Amino acid sequence: MLTTALLAGVEAGLNRVLALDASALPRLAALEGRVLAIDCAAPALRLYLLPGADGLRLAGHWAAPADCTLRAPASRLLQLAVRRDKTAVLHAPDVELEGNSACLLDLAAILQDLELDWEGALADWLGPLGAVAAARPLHGAGAWGSDSLASLRLNLADWLAEEARTLLGRREAEARFAELDELKLALDRLEARSERLARRLPETD
Amino acid sequence: MSDPRKPDSAEPSTHFGYQSVPESQKAQKVAEVFHSVAAKYDLMNDVLSGGMHRLWKRFTIELSGVRPGNRVLDIAGGTGDLARQFSRLVGPSGEVVLADINASMLKVGRDRLLDKGVAGNVKFVQADAEKLPFPDNHFDVVTIAFGLRNVTHKEDALRSMLRVLKPGGRLLVLEFSKPSSSLLGKAYDAYSFAFMPLAGKLITNDAESYRYLAESIRMHPDQETLKGMMVDAGFDLVTYHNMTGGIVALHRGIKP
Repeated sequence: MLTTALLAGVEAGLNRVLALDASALPRLAALEGRVLAIDCAAPALRLYLLPGADGLRLAGHWAAPADCTLRAPASRLLQLAVRRDKTAVLHAPDVELEGNSACLLDLAAILQDLELDWEGALADWLGPLGAVAAARPLHGAGAWGSDSLASLRLNLADWLAEEARTLLGRREAEARFAELDELKLALDRLEARSERLARRLPETD
Repeated sequence: MSDPRKPDSAEPSTHFGYQSVPESQKAQKVAEVFHSVAAKYDLMNDVLSGGMHRLWKRFTIELSGVRPGNRVLDIAGGTGDLARQFSRLVGPSGEVVLADINASMLKVGRDRLLDKGVAGNVKFVQADAEKLPFPDNHFDVVTIAFGLRNVTHKEDALRSMLRVLKPGGRLLVLEFSKPSSSLLGKAYDAYSFAFMPLAGKLITNDAESYRYLAESIRMHPDQETLKGMMVDAGFDLVTYHNMTGGIVALHRGIKP
């Protein structure tokens, strides 16, 4: 019952957020009737997603078979939830898809394309002028935060690779990986050649 | 030949709460209760269960396994909580029949669903669960939520539900049951017989109907007995899930 209550609460919040995007609900309606199962390996957890015109329905149990099952560790599922490029996560080697993957890819695309109209939601409470007045500093703060984060990431990467020499630089690492690939190919060729030579040698007792 | 002017002393009796009444009178008495509470039924459900009835019904939907195109019968559907969700799940190619023996409850349910824009794949039928007016092997899923305890002949109702289900179809019975812990049972008794009639008096000005509700729950078969009744009626793979410590149980059976 606790899981059911928790899922009901998450579902209500999620659907309020989805309603902020004008195109999300009509696109979800096109997936009505599909059942998607999310199977988390560690911790063991199974969740069902049922898209529809009202949003997403979340369920801990579903007696009908799922159209598509996604199996992945919790870290991948978290990446799937927060990363913008969701299709890249779905192609990771530890992610397993079973059944009709088109509906899962459609759902991922809908969530990836979300453009939430926070200003519209604020306008319901504060009126159009109040919403603009409140949203402008928030937009500014958001843009500043995003720029600062990107700058921090670049500076940190530069410092770790160039100054502290704790990590390899990206280009240096790519060059090493390319050398390793060449070496692996050469090794494969050498192995094939030695096998061929071994076959040519006359059999000795 | 019997004299029709004399009262028929041989008529079997049944329980109406803690009272014993002739079988022919039970349906009328239950109808009076629901006519009285229909207008504020949803509000009272929320108040008396603390909103838990929504979670119990949600779990019922999850276990129903309803798919697009399915045909679903919601018996004693009352104000249409389950029918509204089934309507979305079966889609335009499916069908949901909301059936209730009580015209007042059915009217409230119909108005509520129409107000919420639920139409097209939902039908409303005033029907007795013991004599369902549908063909054999007609429905994929039959549900009865908080309705079976008000039925006079429960065995007949279960057999009628079995008849209208398709082979492989599922019956889900959501009903009050017996708490699994004696401590919880005592607390629940105190709550039922003190708070429920009081809330009924304050909100609907009808304490008697809610006293009947508390009594009828105690007279209803417990989890194992109901499971046995479903097996006797002909259901296969009968299982039940206790919810909220057994205060409510969801029984599921499959038509072989």
